[in-house]
Amino acid sequence: MKDIELKGYYLPTDFRYPISEFLTRVYRQGDISVRLKTPVVTPDMVNSLLVHLKENRDKFLVRMPVERIVGVLNEASVLWLDRDYVYRRQAIEIIPAITGFSSETIEASIDIEMESSLSDDMWRALHSEMGNPLYLDDFQYSDELGGYRRAFGPGLVVSFFSENIPALPHLLFMRASLVKAACLGKVASGEPAFAALYLKTIEEIDPEMAASMAVLYWQGGNQEVEDAAFSHADAVVAFGAVETCASLSKRIPRNIKTLVHGHRMGFGIIGKNKMTLAGVDELSRAVAYDHAMFDQKACLAPQVYFVETGGEVSPVEFARMVSGAMASYEEKMPRGRLSAGEAAVIHQQRGRYEIREFGGDDVRMFAPSCGTSWTVVYEKAPGLFSPSVLNRFVRIWAVEDIFQALEALRPVGQFLQNAAVAVGDEREAGLIRRLGELGVARITSPGSMPTPSMMWRHDGMATLASLLRWCDVEKKDDITGFKD
Amino acid sequence: MNQLSQAVSGLDRDILAFIEQGTENDQEFNRLALAAFELQYNHVTLYRHYCQRRDITPKDISSWEQIPALPTDVFKDAAFCLLPSETSRTFITSGTSNKKEQGKVSYDEGGLRLMDATIKKAASWMFFPDNIKALILVLAPPPEIAPHMVMVYGMNRLIEYFGLSASRFLIQKSGFDAKALADTLHRSIDEGVPVAICGGSFGFVNFFDYCTSKGLKFDLPQGSRCLDAGGFKGRSREVGREEFLDLCEGVLGVHRDYCVNLLGMTEISSQYYDNTLRNRQRGIAAGRAKVIPPWTRVMAVDPDTLTPLPAGEIGLLRHLDLANRGHICSIQTDDLGRILPGGFDVYGRARDDGSRGCSLSIDEMTRIIGEAK
Repeated sequence: MKDIELKGYYLPTDFRYPISEFLTRVYRQGDISVRLKTPVVTPDMVNSLLVHLKENRDKFLVRMPVERIVGVLNEASVLWLDRDYVYRRQAIEIIPAITGFSSETIEASIDIEMESSLSDDMWRALHSEMGNPLYLDDFQYSDELGGYRRAFGPGLVVSFFSENIPALPHLLFMRASLVKAACLGKVASGEPAFAALYLKTIEEIDPEMAASMAVLYWQGGNQEVEDAAFSHADAVVAFGAVETCASLSKRIPRNIKTLVHGHRMGFGIIGKNKMTLAGVDELSRAVAYDHAMFDQKACLAPQVYFVETGGEVSPVEFARMVSGAMASYEEKMPRGRLSAGEAAVIHQQRGRYEIREFGGDDVRMFAPSCGTSWTVVYEKAPGLFSPSVLNRFVRIWAVEDIFQALEALRPVGQFLQNAAVAVGDEREAGLIRRLGELGVARITSPGSMPTPSMMWRHDGMATLASLLRWCDVEKKDDITGFKD
Repeated sequence: MNQLSQAVSGLDRDILAFIEQGTENDQEFNRLALAAFELQYNHVTLYRHYCQRRDITPKDISSWEQIPALPTDVFKDAAFCLLPSETSRTFITSGTSNKKEQGKVSYDEGGLRLMDATIKKAASWMFFPDNIKALILVLAPPPEIAPHMVMVYGMNRLIEYFGLSASRFLIQKSGFDAKALADTLHRSIDEGVPVAICGGSFGFVNFFDYCTSKGLKFDLPQGSRCLDAGGFKGRSREVGREEFLDLCEGVLGVHRDYCVNLLGMTEISSQYYDNTLRNRQRGIAAGRAKVIPPWTRVMAVDPDTLTPLPAGEIGLLRHLDLANRGHICSIQTDDLGRILPGGFDVYGRARDDGSRGCSLSIDEMTRIIGEAK
């Protein structure tokens, strides 16, 4: 049994607060035991910490040119992409024990997240959201304004992380530091390890930048602690399940900028002209990849793929091919372990599909003979969308016309996020327009569902620009002293 | 009478005798389980396909443990009746008003007789081992109002077999009259008549809360007892088992050993009772467990692979119930539980473990978001 003890929190090195009590949570999987230590968080501690983070921000971060910040974040991503990087190796050893994800999934997850977090991505995201990123450093001349303009980030962002995507919390620290905001991340009990490791990386590259960042864990819903955090926060960014986000939304004071990334769902639509003998092999692998990545736990993951009938390959045949691809992903990147409840619903669902198949319904189920590692079901699209049981439970719903998918999805418009679209004829543009109207926030190709770019307006929001406050100089006479 | 009906009534006779005899006999149990399986395999087409996909036919197996278990949810999609033409009663699972999500289990006359026999035998062992008759007060609607609730059916049998003449159901169309129950309890105290309060666990909690708010406390006559079943499912506050027992003692004056929890499900004809009342009667000191009557078998299986687990390990409960002759004997539930000395324990439905925020229905999600706005 390998026993690993680790800090599940990060505090700036110059933060001196007498922490009297620690909590150690123990996770075991196979022959690894992880003991994750976190301070018992009190309102007083949060008050001191947040004052301290803001002081450090004013001392260091606010004065840093955005170029330096991008440089540090880029270096961190490059380090994390190195398979031998010590913190990456540590993450890959411990996160599976904590979350149940396979180590292969954690590897892939880190690669996906860090590959889209390099300097080029950051510059493009900044340009795309605010025009000129140097507005963050000082007043810059704006041609559109015909005057000088500057952007100010919030003093402090408090962020609540979810547990479904292991390497996601770094994104919030990136966003906060790009707009020169101090940031406290509250990690989820299900995935408390990655964020602290990531901040160690930042500290080693640039301790001044890390000085305005912290990671803590407390039991979500601890009102005293959360009220203390809100009393210092200028912005709150929350990721989480419907209930978590709803409960937070009720309690965050109205004067605080709030971005909520609540529960969202993805899906795919494939037209008959893409169901070609020549193309389906690759397409089935792409569809399998969309489901296999993050074990279908990401909001980006497809809950269903609508496949149009009338192509060279039928939807049921396509489902069979996807099942082959799912089996091969299980070898390359095994599905994580499930809770008893997650496994139970898969068995129950499978049973229902099997019985409908035997009863003569136009339904097929493909699954390995033992275990719940993957499932593919084919059926004629029922009238309305219902959520998948997830954990690599693929549903191929046959439609006679791709636009039928819109009707099935209409009631869940507010939850739609990510759509993979492959139509193969001129109807594609019309479908994309309709999906946009319906509420979809990202449209991509099959096989790219789990890998959005940093330029993507996450959940339809300009995540950087939303945090900014602007100062425009509409003074028409000459101003001396600003750089051009 | 056709051949199938003849075979069924022959088997029913044997199963009924086995239930009524009520003694452990592995060999006879196995014989009956395999005989029931063979009939079900041969005559319930969907089940036969289900077994065939698992490469199991009656010829291939020699033990009840090998009989393929049907997941409970499939009763939402299809009927599994050995004698569909002779259906005399259909029970429907609770928990949703969405018809597509309601499981349906049908009984023929012979099947009902088997269920009746299990109710009588199990209750006489586990709930009335002292052989008394009690004033049975049921926290549920009567059969006229809820003809499809299997619990109501069972409670009605209990009244028939063990109830004094004033026994009755307490929930009417106008709802539950807590005051009427309180008045009845006062009367029974005055008259010294032992009471058996039976019903959903949530009904007890709502009554306890009513009593607490009114400052009511009872000291029910000696021999009074409680039988509760099911969870809370948002119909009352959630109460842990120990707190529940404390309330039974504190509010009703019924000793915790006389408070028996029952596991019953629409998909399973038999019922599983806590051992506490019987053990107390017999002077046996043992931990609380649900007793597995001789005409059933229970095992815990690995949630992922569905292979049986050793005693003591927590898994999904699987039942083999001979009284399920009419609708598939081997049933895979999604209840979490484990085998214990003298029985088993159940910890509620595995899917309620909170791991699936994403499995919230669209309606639930919309409601929660609406409330937050």
